[in-house]
Amino acid sequence: MELMIAVAVIMVKVVLITVILFIVPVPLTWLERKIAGHIQQRMGPMRVGWHGLLQPVADGLKLLTKEDNIPDQSDRVLFKIAPFVALVPPFMVFVAVPFGEDVSILGYETPLYLSDMNVGLLYILAVAGLEIYGVIFGGWASNSKYALLGSLRTCAQLISYEIPMGFAVIGVIMLSQSMNLSDIVDAQEPLWFIIYQPLGFFIFFIAGLAEAQRIPFDLAEAEGDLGAGYHTEYSGMRFSFFMISEYLVMLTISVLCVLLFFGGWHGVLIPLPAPIWLALKVGFFIYLFMWFRFTFPRYRYDQLMSIGWKVLVPLSILNILITGIFIY
Amino acid sequence: MYNENALDRISREHRWIGVTFFLDLINGLSLTFKYMFSKSVTMQYPDREKWVPYPRHRGHHVLRRDENGENKCVACELCAKICPCNCITVVPYEDENGKRRPLVYDVDMARCLYCGLCEDSCPEEAIALGSVFEYSSYTSEELVVGRDSLLEMDGKTGDPGSVVKARYLPLAQCTVEAQESSGHDWWRFIHRKD
Repeated sequence: MELMIAVAVIMVKVVLITVILFIVPVPLTWLERKIAGHIQQRMGPMRVGWHGLLQPVADGLKLLTKEDNIPDQSDRVLFKIAPFVALVPPFMVFVAVPFGEDVSILGYETPLYLSDMNVGLLYILAVAGLEIYGVIFGGWASNSKYALLGSLRTCAQLISYEIPMGFAVIGVIMLSQSMNLSDIVDAQEPLWFIIYQPLGFFIFFIAGLAEAQRIPFDLAEAEGDLGAGYHTEYSGMRFSFFMISEYLVMLTISVLCVLLFFGGWHGVLIPLPAPIWLALKVGFFIYLFMWFRFTFPRYRYDQLMSIGWKVLVPLSILNILITGIFIY
Repeated sequence: MYNENALDRISREHRWIGVTFFLDLINGLSLTFKYMFSKSVTMQYPDREKWVPYPRHRGHHVLRRDENGENKCVACELCAKICPCNCITVVPYEDENGKRRPLVYDVDMARCLYCGLCEDSCPEEAIALGSVFEYSSYTSEELVVGRDSLLEMDGKTGDPGSVVKARYLPLAQCTVEAQESSGHDWWRFIHRKD
């Protein structure tokens, strides 16, 4: 009986997280268009629903009913697999993400995470790195020069920014003496790690921007020079899978920023439930991502590479050294 | 106000300090943040607002009446002659007072290029181009407008150069009805360098 309940609780949590993650990109697209509009003194979508709130639903219906076009000369198997390969890793990341302390629902004590791994952070970094396969498959299978160039750029970009990202996280691991995300958040209860690790956060955030392929590092889908990058040839549902995956990566980076540097679900001054504090902080980071997108132009490809290897990697190593000296 | 760059205040040899601490990026971010919370300039044209054209606007043709309420046109056909695209057809007749008046005054809106030469050439100031601009139709026959409907058209109406509250009338009419006589100046929300 105990086992049955435990399995049922896990199943409910899995379904809940999957549904939430599928729904989250819907308001995010609306928010992105609204922010884009207001930054450019426009209004963004206004006609479908109140202040265009139903616009993402209309867009979703349009994508669902569109023709699912597969290019004639493409590698059909890879072309069909690629969107799913890109979509699954962001979902897998959230297995290890804690959303708050234990809560009791109907007298049953349950933790707000799916799996409390002792190497949660390593798992997240490893799984998030898998997303690159979807991008490579998509770009290669399309048999289009724009898609191929886009996926090559993405490949180089993701690989070179994963190194400073991993190094930046080491400072946090050294401070909290754990790779378990719940332990890392608990270690920040007196003081957030952003105070101890400003350089680490800076590197992590910039590398995160590059990992999420957001402006100013969105060379993968540079509209001006590549059409739409690796998903140039995709349409309909497969295209929307790529889009959902992109928004989820952005969400992942925001959640990680909050959990690692901004005290996770620990609030300041106002006592609110833990998941709400987490959501507020994540919302702030998502706003930051969108604000950046409509402010900055994108970097040139060689600038991107030199920022990654000549600035961020040495800085992250320096950060590890400084943290080590202070701990010692 | 917005053109002042934080980097400009630092002398050239110390500029790397500003670049290192991202003064240029912060400058850009603060600019877009200001814009984010400024009033947007979008005119919600078919749904809520409508633009009232300036008096110079050349829209739908109008036939004017004199102070006695009679058609000013004397059917001299100068407008028909000067029209570069032959879109005006005038057939004169003699009315009960012995005056020359148009029996037929057709303007083909589909052919007209809205140059306003008819307005300039008219000796009686009878024909004019008004401020109505919503008269699209499904057939080009409907765009040939006769004398009586030209006499009923509004001329230069409303508070020119402003945005007024309006309501969209869909389907058959397919026009936007203005709901107030004077609106706000659209240019007031535009950011300018001081």
